[in-house]
Amino acid sequence: MTLARFVRKNAFRNKRRSILTLLSISFSLLLLTVMMTIWRAFYMSDGTSESAERLIIRHRVSLGQFLPIAYRERIRSVPGVKNVVNQTWFGGQYKDDKPENFFAQFGTDPNEIFDVQRDFHIPQDQLEAWKKDRAGCVVDAELAKKHGWKIGDRLNIKGTIFPFDLELTIRGMFTAATPTETVYFNNTYVDEGYPKMKGFVGFFGVLADSPESVPQVAKAIDAMFRNSDRPTKSESEKAFNLDWIAMLGNVKGFILSICGAVVFATLLVSANTMAMSIRERTREVALLKTLGFTRATVLALFMGEAVSLAALGGLVGALAGSVLVYGMARSPQMGLFLTGVTINAPTMLVAVLVAATVGVVSSIVPAFNASRGNIVEGLRHIG
Amino acid sequence: MSTAMALNTATETKVVQARNVSKVFQRDAFQVKALDDVSLEIATAEFLALMGPSGSGKTTLLNMIAAIDRPSSGELLVLGQNVFRLSDGQSARWRNQHIGYVFQTFNLIPVLTAFENVELPLLLTKLSARERRDHVMTALKLVGLEERVHHLPKQLSGGQEQRVAIARAIVSDPTVLLADEPTGDLDGRSATEILEILKRLNQDYHKTIVMVTHDPHAASYAHLTRHLEKGMLLPA
Amino acid sequence: MAIPLRYNIRNLKLRKSATIMTALGIALTVTTAIFILALLAGLNAAFRLSGNALNVLVLRKGSNAELAAGGVDRDALPIMKDLPGVARDAQGEPLVSGEDLLVVVLPRNDGTGETNVTVRFLTATGIEMRPETKLVAGRWFTPGQHEIVVSQSIHNRFAQANVGDTMWIGKGPWTVVGVFDAGGTAHDSEIWGDVNQLAADFDRTFYNSVLLRATDPVAADALKNRVNDDQRLKLNGMLETDYWAKQTSSGNPIKFVGMIVAVIMAIGSCFAAMNTMYAAVAYRSREIATLRVIGFSRPSILASFVLESVLLSLLGALVGILLMLPFNGMTTGTNNPVTFSEAVFSLRMTPSVIGSAVLFALVMGLFGGMAPAWHAAQRQILASLRD
Repeated sequence: MTLARFVRKNAFRNKRRSILTLLSISFSLLLLTVMMTIWRAFYMSDGTSESAERLIIRHRVSLGQFLPIAYRERIRSVPGVKNVVNQTWFGGQYKDDKPENFFAQFGTDPNEIFDVQRDFHIPQDQLEAWKKDRAGCVVDAELAKKHGWKIGDRLNIKGTIFPFDLELTIRGMFTAATPTETVYFNNTYVDEGYPKMKGFVGFFGVLADSPESVPQVAKAIDAMFRNSDRPTKSESEKAFNLDWIAMLGNVKGFILSICGAVVFATLLVSANTMAMSIRERTREVALLKTLGFTRATVLALFMGEAVSLAALGGLVGALAGSVLVYGMARSPQMGLFLTGVTINAPTMLVAVLVAATVGVVSSIVPAFNASRGNIVEGLRHIG
Repeated sequence: MSTAMALNTATETKVVQARNVSKVFQRDAFQVKALDDVSLEIATAEFLALMGPSGSGKTTLLNMIAAIDRPSSGELLVLGQNVFRLSDGQSARWRNQHIGYVFQTFNLIPVLTAFENVELPLLLTKLSARERRDHVMTALKLVGLEERVHHLPKQLSGGQEQRVAIARAIVSDPTVLLADEPTGDLDGRSATEILEILKRLNQDYHKTIVMVTHDPHAASYAHLTRHLEKGMLLPA
Repeated sequence: MAIPLRYNIRNLKLRKSATIMTALGIALTVTTAIFILALLAGLNAAFRLSGNALNVLVLRKGSNAELAAGGVDRDALPIMKDLPGVARDAQGEPLVSGEDLLVVVLPRNDGTGETNVTVRFLTATGIEMRPETKLVAGRWFTPGQHEIVVSQSIHNRFAQANVGDTMWIGKGPWTVVGVFDAGGTAHDSEIWGDVNQLAADFDRTFYNSVLLRATDPVAADALKNRVNDDQRLKLNGMLETDYWAKQTSSGNPIKFVGMIVAVIMAIGSCFAAMNTMYAAVAYRSREIATLRVIGFSRPSILASFVLESVLLSLLGALVGILLMLPFNGMTTGTNNPVTFSEAVFSLRMTPSVIGSAVLFALVMGLFGGMAPAWHAAQRQILASLRD
């Protein structure tokens, strides 16, 4: 029998306690994994390489204010700009106002949208069919699957921001690396349906020639319209997305405080278990020392036990977390914020490391006390 | 109703009637006979000492009388009642009313004071707080501990702890007092004190006492001593 | 008769470290739950308080938000003023307020970026129709001037929102002349200015919304139907309370994430409590047997240990509530998906939030204690005595 085997046998000597501890730690670490994943998705991911080359140009005041379509060609003239496409948020209702029936609808230009959104793929014939139909639209293939749409189906969207309804025909389906929950339709529909909006669009999507030129392009565009009637705010797609997240409230603080509570709770659970388990074995520790085990070995034995138990809990939690994230990314309530988010290996590794560290910290005091205990008293200990 | 009647008439004469009682344990592949065809009658106000080497089955017999263990075969009536027919809850209530149990290791509740430990069985009765108090104080006076009512078990000596345990056993005025090696953990002087108390309870209060012991000095306090060996009751 | 409670309390005291650690673990869970519940309570309160049961909100037909394209023609206002059931103020003026909304971007004063804020343009009648709104500094805006008043929470949370500051709204600078408190309603997230000045600036021919005050609740309902049915108007009337109640959906993401977090933490804490209680049962094995010998039944043993677990969790709840108390009333904001601008609200530890938190802890204690208590009650007396 090796010492490692001894540690393992000890860790599961009280099976029920070990399993309860394991479960308790896993549930905490599950949360930690989910929170870390959300953090990574919001603040650390750079998105696709195509995304890094894109900018969003909107009205300086807000998305609710419109920009003249004439800006499009002026933006195109800015050095570093490869493509520009207008997009208008329609914000209509499909069927009812239930969250599972919510998705984005943008009025746009079929001739250029897929040049800017180069990471979206659509069969050429479907794109051509859409270009020919002013009342046509293309939908995210994932969204189509969810609602059971087929090409040629009618799609009726009730206007809430705009005083008219869309009656669209699905002409194509596009695929994206991550689900987009989006329908694109021809913006001329908005121009005709609501003449007051003719000549105005919501915002522009711009494709720059390289990720490096994005900051200069943004600066140049904003400078161009600074003193106009409708000044712009240009930012990278990532910065634009972060603005949305910031509108949710203090998300960073929320995530951090939950992570803090979770780690502290795990620490308490683990420390409690180790204290219970070590106290029960006071007599045994004395025996080990009688047999010639050094203090250091005894300390290592107990800490090894705590660390392996906690790390195992961390692993289980991280695995369960990936399942939960998978589910959350597909739930209607969270869909828009977490689409396409998955857990990666480094996140899981961090979870296991955090758990192991908690194991070390939680066992150090009781293990140290046990290793220092008096042999004669220990042997007399009952319990 | 009929059981209650039987109970009342039986208390007049016999407290325990055991006929051909056996107890078999299954230990892995082996069968261990803890009690082998034991027949025994214990009369009211008897003070019986059960002796025998360890593993002879004396505690098993005692536990059966307390209805916390049951025979594999044979018949055992306690106070005229076949207690193994009672449900779990009924047997708990029955024990509370008729049996006082004294353990070798005292088994006081460490977080409760002497007074509270003795009061415990009375919480199961309908007595008022004032009546309970009177009963507890009577019991504690009887064992000579009225000075130490508010001490926790750890603040008492072993002998004092066992006296609290006896007070707890008699506070509900049970018919039968069962003692399992009551002096086993005590020094000679404390042991004598405990045995004197038991003797007094038997003589002055006519409690039927069954005491398991392997100490001949302890057994000498009883009226009658029976020996068990390998599960069999030796002839008197 | 049950095993006395003091038996459980003293045992919890005896195993101090286990009790403290378990209770703290539960406290953290309760804290998280209270935090989320208090956020939602604050949000709901803001929207619920906002509506007056006598007010009817009128929007363009098909629209369900004040901040939508198109609106109510200015010509429709006189028609609505003459509708039966419209209340009048002391001067005999009908209580009808045509209002415009704009969204502006303001930098937060904590340096965390910019947020959209709603600016509401109205008249003195509009202010009069919201009696919960009180001026706390400066004065109200003067009609015909580029002047605005900001809510207390905007004043606290954003840069350039002090009396004397100017803000660029639409085509020019507007001066902040006062600070108001809207009594916890949704207007606490707004800036107010003169509607006629805005109309002059932008040459607007319509209002985003019109607010009507009815003489009584029955009249309000009738007024709503009258607006909906009037063929000249082609408008959509709704009770103001219903309108705001719908917007509580902006709390959905918080609710969803919060519930998941709280439930997962609660399950973790349940296991921890279970562990502690199993240890307590194992430690007191012989005590339990003794109690059984004395005559306590299995159900009273079960009840006693469940009770101990519940006591432990209630201790946790108490600590959790105390931990959260300093945060009561803290103001924060979230995005209102209907207006795309910030909804400011405060953390509210209402009695129902506290009650839910205690209930939450109670359930944790019950679940955590049930299995160990069952285990304690099921043990054979003999086996326990030998331990």
